[in-house]
Amino acid sequence: MIEFKDVNYIHSNGIPALKEINLSIKPKTINALVGSNGTGKTTLARHINGLLKPTSGNVLVFGKNTKKISVASLSKRIGMVFQNSNHQLFADTVKNEILFGLNNFETDSQIIKTRFEWALNFFDLKKYENTSPLKLSGGEKKRLCIASVLAWNPEVLILDEPTVGQDQVQKGKMLEFISNLNKQGKTIIIISHDLEFLWSLKPNVIVMTKGKIRKTGKIADIFSDDELLNQTCLMRPQLLDLWMKLNIKREPPADITKAADIIRRISGS
Amino acid sequence: MYWISKGFIFTKVDSLVHKLDPRVKLLISIQFFILALLVSDLIDLAIIFTGIILFANISKIFSKLIRTMLFAVLFSGIILGINIIAGYSFIYSLQIALRFVAIVCSTSIFFLITSPDELEYVLRWFRIPNDLVFAFVTAVRFVPIILMDALQIIDAQKSRGLELEKGNPITRIKNFVPILVPLIVNEVIRSGELAEAMEARCYGVVKKPTVLYELKLNFNDKLAIPFCTSIFILGFFLSI
Repeated sequence: MIEFKDVNYIHSNGIPALKEINLSIKPKTINALVGSNGTGKTTLARHINGLLKPTSGNVLVFGKNTKKISVASLSKRIGMVFQNSNHQLFADTVKNEILFGLNNFETDSQIIKTRFEWALNFFDLKKYENTSPLKLSGGEKKRLCIASVLAWNPEVLILDEPTVGQDQVQKGKMLEFISNLNKQGKTIIIISHDLEFLWSLKPNVIVMTKGKIRKTGKIADIFSDDELLNQTCLMRPQLLDLWMKLNIKREPPADITKAADIIRRISGS
Repeated sequence: MYWISKGFIFTKVDSLVHKLDPRVKLLISIQFFILALLVSDLIDLAIIFTGIILFANISKIFSKLIRTMLFAVLFSGIILGINIIAGYSFIYSLQIALRFVAIVCSTSIFFLITSPDELEYVLRWFRIPNDLVFAFVTAVRFVPIILMDALQIIDAQKSRGLELEKGNPITRIKNFVPILVPLIVNEVIRSGELAEAMEARCYGVVKKPTVLYELKLNFNDKLAIPFCTSIFILGFFLSI
């Protein structure tokens, strides 16, 4: 579905950002891009919807080379939500903000109406329909940004640091909606430093260091590699850490309540 | 846009000119500026441009200055057109247009060879009030940051199907609304946050804050001042 073939990218100031990237992202999967700051995670993601074109090598999306397609036509199938919500919001009302992308990509007014209503309700923004996006809280702005992208129903969703500035309740909601979207058949790519959050999603993890892909694999495999974690400045999720210290062989569950049940059962109390 | 904008942003370069005292850099830029204002015929303008290009090469900023030049040429085209429509001769209109480019370049040179910190020292040396210096230098410092913000916003809106190059000229101008609104909002928020952060660090408590570095002329500066000034005086008398 998304393939990087020997991709190199050099910034205009001559600094190489991506080096020899070979990567394949399968449809209907949840994928996480992790690594320390400045390792090229966002740069890699921007290659997927054609905002950046490789200096050498090719990025194939749905079998088409991104060098030969416009950002607009790629964006119709690949939605990208940027880290800073304030970089996206410009309309006078929440309604117009959601309609902006929809109007750019859809011509059928019935579809526009249906998708708009869906986005408004799914992200619990109905009560703010005629409010200025700038008056919303940080969490609501984030939801609006995601709603305004998902409104046109892209097949792939890229989320750049979706949990930054979100409280625990919002994170929980985010987790739920990402899982739901994935169940609906969407491919999700998340760039995040929030490993506790990623752990609950059980994604395929792509670890990056200095513009290169260091390792790809299941999250449990990645986080059991001490050497890799040290070298990439990543910290193991607490639940997994506890599991490893207790030397429990079976894979830890996604949430702490189930984990507590298992520990109780093992200890016989 | 990004390519041209780099012509207005200072980056540290290891050159003889960059090591000069900022007051000397200002003096040289003012001399270029005055000469650009004074000269009138095409030969004089050609000499001025040669001087600017030569100086830019010594300063290792030529690749940046060429961007500023191109930007100025775009505007000078409008000046040329207006002058011709107003009934002036082509040669006269061309002289006015080229003079504009020379003036822009001579100003740009100063900002390309002087860091915002040095600019601050120069302004303080002129005993300009502290608040004014801070406001001006902060504005200069924020140029690259605002530029980066603008590029991020363009990317974000392109991802939502915005095509800046699409449509007639009026549509193209309208296409910039989704870029300008978040940019202005961001910068207003940023300036508010900056003001609070400065106050939190006791900005304004002392009327005349002390500075870490004092400006001092070294041997190269003392050599550059008479050398550049003599060239300027020669050019000044030749042009009038």
